[in-house]
Amino acid sequence: MRAALHFCFRLAARTSSTVPRRPFHVSCVRRAANDAPAAEPQAERPVSSCPPSTVLVGLNWLKGQPPVLALPDEEYPPWLWTITSAKPIPDDGPGGKGEKMRMRIENRKRIKEQNFMSKQ
Amino acid sequence: MSKAAARAQIVRIVVGAGKATPSPPIGPALGARGVKSMDFCKEFNARTAHIEPGVPVPTLITVQPDRTFSFVTKTPPVAYFLKKATGIDKGTAKPGHDWIASISMKHIYEIAKVKATDDHLRHLPLESIARTVVGSARSMGIRVIP
Repeated sequence: MRAALHFCFRLAARTSSTVPRRPFHVSCVRRAANDAPAAEPQAERPVSSCPPSTVLVGLNWLKGQPPVLALPDEEYPPWLWTITSAKPIPDDGPGGKGEKMRMRIENRKRIKEQNFMSKQ
Repeated sequence: MSKAAARAQIVRIVVGAGKATPSPPIGPALGARGVKSMDFCKEFNARTAHIEPGVPVPTLITVQPDRTFSFVTKTPPVAYFLKKATGIDKGTAKPGHDWIASISMKHIYEIAKVKATDDHLRHLPLESIARTVVGSARSMGIRVIP
């Protein structure tokens, strides 16, 4: 059981092999029927599930704050669409930051595996 | 926690905005360090008057050896925003396996914007703050979709 849990952490979080057992609660409540949807998506940007002018619930934590609305897709910075994926490690050749990051990831992985195997 | 007469003591507590002074959370925590909880509550409620009542506000109270105190308030926890946004009551018991809700990246952006007003996050780029919000969402079982 522990082995299964341990290795599950290694799998990419975005495998869709498990069927969701509960219905999804979608956060964007569609309230504006009149606004046109955002312009056609660019090559690198996925189409947002949240059309412009939907009310974003739960962000009004100040008194008298107007409801926060979603903006059209173009008005958000381009990095927003990549926040669920890992940042690409730069390749600046030997001695650069990329090598250090790669070595750190590798070392930590090796330590975790050794620690796990020592308990088996 | 601290030396007898030398250092200031620090109390970390989460209080609903405008709703201080119940004995259970605040009374014993402050009273044990010699602070009159009524004083703190009046000042806290005054300082959080601009916030919707009931919103959890993490505060850091520093009590000096001579029993004077000062406190700093911060933005509400990310988990609070995520729960209100998705309407769930509690995070999932099996993070990474059970996905109980989904949230849009635009929503994450707005939450990150609120958190960026916090003092201890001021030096971080907004992208990094947004990524921490995504991490919190993942720990609660909320899937982030574009």
